[in-house]
Amino acid sequence: MSKSEKKIVLKSLDNEAFEVEKAVALQSQTIWVMCEDKCVGNEIPLENVTGQILAKVIDYCKKHAVVDGDGDESSEELKNWDTEFTKNMDQSTLFNMILAANYLNIKSLLNLTCQAVADKTKTIDEFHTFLNIENNFTPEEEAQICQENLWAFDD
Amino acid sequence: MSSRLIMAKTKQSLSLITLLPEDVIIDILGRIPRCDYPTLSLVSKHFRSLVASRELYARRSLLGCTEHCLYVVLYNNEIGEGQWYILRRKANSNRRLVFIPLLPVMPYGGSFVAVGSRIHVFGGFNSKDIALSIDCRSHTVQTLPSMLVAMSDTIANIIDGRICVVGNYEWKKMMLVFNTETQIWESELINLEIELGYIRSRSVVMADKIYTRDYDYSFVYDPKKSKWERDEMLNSKKWKYACVVDDVLYYHDWHENEIRAYDPKQKCWSVTVRYGGKLVLFFNKVEEKTYEIWCAEISLEGRQGLKIWGQIQWCDQ
Repeated sequence: MSKSEKKIVLKSLDNEAFEVEKAVALQSQTIWVMCEDKCVGNEIPLENVTGQILAKVIDYCKKHAVVDGDGDESSEELKNWDTEFTKNMDQSTLFNMILAANYLNIKSLLNLTCQAVADKTKTIDEFHTFLNIENNFTPEEEAQICQENLWAFDD
Repeated sequence: MSSRLIMAKTKQSLSLITLLPEDVIIDILGRIPRCDYPTLSLVSKHFRSLVASRELYARRSLLGCTEHCLYVVLYNNEIGEGQWYILRRKANSNRRLVFIPLLPVMPYGGSFVAVGSRIHVFGGFNSKDIALSIDCRSHTVQTLPSMLVAMSDTIANIIDGRICVVGNYEWKKMMLVFNTETQIWESELINLEIELGYIRSRSVVMADKIYTRDYDYSFVYDPKKSKWERDEMLNSKKWKYACVVDDVLYYHDWHENEIRAYDPKQKCWSVTVRYGGKLVLFFNKVEEKTYEIWCAEISLEGRQGLKIWGQIQWCDQ
C-alpha cells in the first residue's frame, strides 16, 4: 500500500479538511462502509459534523487507533485519557460529540459521551438546558408526580 | 460559514432533543442512577414516558447498570397492617427508610419473594388466597391469579422460576407452586407429610433447596426429589430471620449477639468459605418512649480458620 492510500481526507460541514491515517478514520463504521462501497474517492464529505467537533473526534480516534504498533496503550491509560477528554467539555460540545459519534457510528465514543452526560446532568434544569427543552407539565401534573414519588424527593 | 451550517445551528437552538435519536436518549437515561428517575420524569412529558418504558430497563440490564434496592414492610401491630418503605441514601449520605405512598398497605401474615425487579406477595391473615406482584420500577401493583386454596402462616421461596408457597390449610402444612414464567399455579396441592409447626420468618433457599424450621426441628426440601426431610446439623442452632449470601445462611443470634453462618455443603456452622456478599442487619432500640430502627450494612470477608470476618460499612438510625 502506497503512502497516499494509507491516508484519507475528511471534510467537515464547514469545509475544513483533515488528513488522517485510514486506520484512524476507519474506527467510524459510517466511514468504513463508505470506503468499502468505493462510492467516494480519497476525500470523504461529512455533512453533519463541524470542523470544531470533527477535530475532537479525530483526536479520540487517533488515541484509540492501533497504527503500526503505535498508540497501543494500556487500558488503564486509555481510560484516564477518556476521562480527561470529556471532563472539561461544555454541554454544547458534549451534545454535538454525541450527535457526531452517532452519525459516524463510533460505538466506544458514543458510550463515552453518553456516560459523560449521565454523570454531569443531574438536575431537571440541567436537562432542560442540555436538550433545550421546556417543562410542559401543568403545576397540577407536576404536583401529582411529586406526590407519587415522595420517596425520591423527601430529603 | 455555509448556509447549511446556519440552518443546522438554528435547528439546534429550537430543540436539541429532536436531533438526538430516541435510542441515544435511552442510552443516556440508562446510565443515570435509578433514584434520580422521579426527578427525570419531571423534565418533560416525553421524559416521563421514557422513564416508565420497558426499553429503558432493558437497556439498563444491557449496560450492566442494574441496582439493588432494599424494600421493607413495617407493620403497625395495633391495626395489623404494614406499609412499604425503601432504604435510601439521603443528601447528607446517611441512609433512611423512606415511605412509599403509592404502594398499598400489606395485610399481616403475607409472605414476600423478590423476582427480578418485582416483589410477589402471597397470603395474609385476612385475605389468605391473595397473590400480588409489585413492579419496583413503577411502584405499581398487579393482581396474580388467586391461590388455589387459602393458606395462613405462609412462607414463600423461589427456585428455578417456581415459587413454592408453604402454609396451613385445614390444619395441615401444604405447598402450592406458582410458575413465574407461565404466571399460573400448578394444579397440585402438595401435602408436606411432616410435622411442621409455626414457620414464619424461618425459611431460606440455599443451592436450590428450601430450608425452614419450626420451634423444634429444621427441614430441607429438595424439589428434584419432591421430598421434605429433617436437617439435624442445621437444627443445632435456633436460627431465624436468616438470609443467604453465596449459598451460606447467616442469622443474628440475639442471645450471644453474634452473627452465625451455616454452610450446607460442609454441613457445618461458622466455617470458612468464599465471601463477597453483603449483609444488611436491622435492629431496634427501645428507649423510654421512643422506638428506633437501626440498620447496618456488613461486607463479608473470608479468613482462615473457623471465624468469619465482616466489616461494618455503615450504621444509620
